[in-house]
Amino acid sequence: MPLLECRELICRFGALVAVDTVDMTVEAGEIRAVIGPNGAGKSTLFNLITNVIRPTAGRVVFGGEDITGMPVHEVAQKGIARTFQLCHIFPALTARENARIAAQARAPGRWRFLGGGHVFSRSAEQAEEALERLGLTRCADTPAGLLSHGDQRLLEVAMAIAQRPRLLMLDEPTQGLSIQETDHAVGMLKAMLADGNLSVILVEHDMEVVFRLADNITVLHRGRVIADGAPGVVRANAEVRSAYLGEFD
Amino acid sequence: MNRKLGFATAAALCVLLPFILPQYTLTITVEALIFGLFAMSLDLMVGYCRLYSFGHAAAYGLGAYSCGMLLTHLQLPLPAGILLAVAITVLIAVPIAWVCTRSTGVSFAMLTLAFAQLGYAMLFRFKEFTGGSDGIDGIPRPPGPFGATFLQSKLGYYYLVLFCLFGSYLLCRTIVRSPFGAVLAGIRENEAKTRALGYNTRAYKLATVVLAYGFGGLAGALYAPFAGFASPELFFWLASGRVLIMVIVGGAGTLIGPILGGAGFLFLENQLSQLTDLWPLIFGSVFIAFVMFAPQGIWGLITSGFERSPAAARGPGGAEAPGAAS
Amino acid sequence: MDFLGFAVTQCLNALSQASVLFLIACGLTLIFGIMRIVNFAHGVIFMLGAYVGYTAIALTGSFLLSLAVTPIVVGIVGMSFERVFLRRLYGRRDGGAYLMVTFGLAVVMSEAIRLIWGAQPLGAGIPDFLRGIVLVFDQPFPLYRVFLIGLGVAAAIALWQFLERTRAGLLIRAVSQNSEMVHALGTDVDMVRTAVFGLGCAMAALGGALAAPLVTAFLGMGTTVVIDAFVVVIIGGMGSFLGSIIGSVLIAFVQVVGAYYFQELALAFMYLLMLIILVIRPGGLLGREE
Repeated sequence: MPLLECRELICRFGALVAVDTVDMTVEAGEIRAVIGPNGAGKSTLFNLITNVIRPTAGRVVFGGEDITGMPVHEVAQKGIARTFQLCHIFPALTARENARIAAQARAPGRWRFLGGGHVFSRSAEQAEEALERLGLTRCADTPAGLLSHGDQRLLEVAMAIAQRPRLLMLDEPTQGLSIQETDHAVGMLKAMLADGNLSVILVEHDMEVVFRLADNITVLHRGRVIADGAPGVVRANAEVRSAYLGEFD
Repeated sequence: MNRKLGFATAAALCVLLPFILPQYTLTITVEALIFGLFAMSLDLMVGYCRLYSFGHAAAYGLGAYSCGMLLTHLQLPLPAGILLAVAITVLIAVPIAWVCTRSTGVSFAMLTLAFAQLGYAMLFRFKEFTGGSDGIDGIPRPPGPFGATFLQSKLGYYYLVLFCLFGSYLLCRTIVRSPFGAVLAGIRENEAKTRALGYNTRAYKLATVVLAYGFGGLAGALYAPFAGFASPELFFWLASGRVLIMVIVGGAGTLIGPILGGAGFLFLENQLSQLTDLWPLIFGSVFIAFVMFAPQGIWGLITSGFERSPAAARGPGGAEAPGAAS
Repeated sequence: MDFLGFAVTQCLNALSQASVLFLIACGLTLIFGIMRIVNFAHGVIFMLGAYVGYTAIALTGSFLLSLAVTPIVVGIVGMSFERVFLRRLYGRRDGGAYLMVTFGLAVVMSEAIRLIWGAQPLGAGIPDFLRGIVLVFDQPFPLYRVFLIGLGVAAAIALWQFLERTRAGLLIRAVSQNSEMVHALGTDVDMVRTAVFGLGCAMAALGGALAAPLVTAFLGMGTTVVIDAFVVVIIGGMGSFLGSIIGSVLIAFVQVVGAYYFQELALAFMYLLMLIILVIRPGGLLGREE
């Protein structure tokens, strides 16, 4: 059974069709990259899957369960964690606390309003682990708002991992990062994904990152899927090349 | 360690206060403590969750009227009357909170105001029960559990209020430092992200509002038997305004700030409103000044040592991270 | 025949109330459109207009003159407030600051009014040339209310033309859509904001000056009005000019009907309506979300 299935997803904003009958299937343990020129509908697709936007038509099935239109927080409870294009963190709280709140999100004790010390310690452990994997332990006590842009993006990823998701959705994780920072981030991600316990869907503009990480690539253009498959196949696809006007290779 | 010492000192001071201050100030001191409790209850919403309410007087009024009506019509020991009044307030708060948390920002504030105004109108509509514009008069202060009369005296009542204040403070402090409180911090900082992480933020906000109404109702329930009467003014928008101002000026998000601010405000009002007609003008202007230049409030200023720390620039709600060691 | 006359006069009644409500709500929605803040002090501004109008009549003896002077005076007060206080808050991350400051203004201004004019309600009464009645389907109807309807319609048209046809109106609409762009094009956006805030206050003050002969100027007239205006803006949509017209008419009709049939609950009715609207559509019917 595939982990995530998008069946004929359509998203219309008035006359504009942002996502046009998209079918996508992601298996467990897979790393899928979603690419496409600007305005292709990649972020919208993400928003449809996590129900930040309600699809006009179509279904989203996660682990065999229909999650279409499920409230955002419930989708996260099912095991999908995502990052956003515009970095979303808690600026006034320390990096450690950011990650800890994320780790706490699926803990049954998150409702406790009296005591709850063990909830704190367990989620703190998970948070510490996540921060370490992303190499953020050095700045764990800094208020997140004061971190560099690159570190903030890594923090967001750390928060997503701290949630111990089944599916990780990263929306342009390397956007705004310098070449060094990107390299660093990709290395981190690769090491993290080597465990194979996680499935990832990745929206990326940076083709190098895509080819380093992805098992499969889905190409969107004007809301439609124009190619879907292994990197080599996609690279050779004529329609894809024309959509990008020879931007890569 | 420092903090525990400070707390113990404050507690000891408060216990000894009736013997330090002159007798005639006892009444105003009790009222000041009640108002401090009322202000702290609002801080849960405003300071920890950034839910600005223009109608928190409703909580106070509900507590006061419930307690007043219960004690007037039923033979109840005093603490039972107070507890029941709090229970009633909490029950009524649930649908109110459910409606209000459907919106955010200004709409939320307007909804809370609307409910308070509705309460005000209801008091006149059901004159037979509530006494209309006259309110309920002659609320008794019945003997405490098992016929004990200690609480009926002013001194006894002072200790009752003190106990409730300290107890509520400790309870609130535990709450904001719990996993629940950590989520409130998240909602305050970035609600969309908190939701995306998997938290049902609406439920958390609803719970916070209900809690705030509960503690506010306690303050009102303590007030009614003490003052002996309850009147519609308790629901008026200016009453909501006063307590909101006290939270902001005292220091939103600190619990202590609003307690001190609320108590201090009542003292000041008592003194200054006799001297000058300009008192409301003064505190309104002071409020604006704080919002503009010192949003962390008086307590926030004191604890940050007057420096322009990142916490200060953040604005109200500079609560410390939950789970931090005390 | 009797019923028709009655129904028509009630409609006219509602329309006259809608006129005053429109003046207030329109100001509120304009201010929101351009500054993204809800001016909680708007009700008190309305009240200030009533009091200033009373004084203007007392000083000059002319009702029409007071209608001209009051908006100008209060508009200037509004602009000064915006310049001195609100402008400093633009960079703030915490949107609650605006709410708090306008709330503080409401408190301060309420008090200032009480200190200057005293706690007693003040009534200048309806000016002589507008006293009297007209007959509508054989039913008597106050001339003053007809005057209100006329003025309301005139104001709506004037404002509409101003926003659609003049360069200043274009500027206002542009700033409310995309202030950064307009700023990049060289316009002093701050000044536009101040001007619009002043305009909004002026309109509310005009409403106050018009309402005063009917209801007399009294303390506390601000609170109910700001909630009414808020309900209008919520229904019509925050920032929508057309919405404020539609909303005003709707709410006025509801108020008139409510006052007639549910007399005792008239007060509660308003609030229940707002609760229902906000529960069903937190963003209003026509305008944008906050």
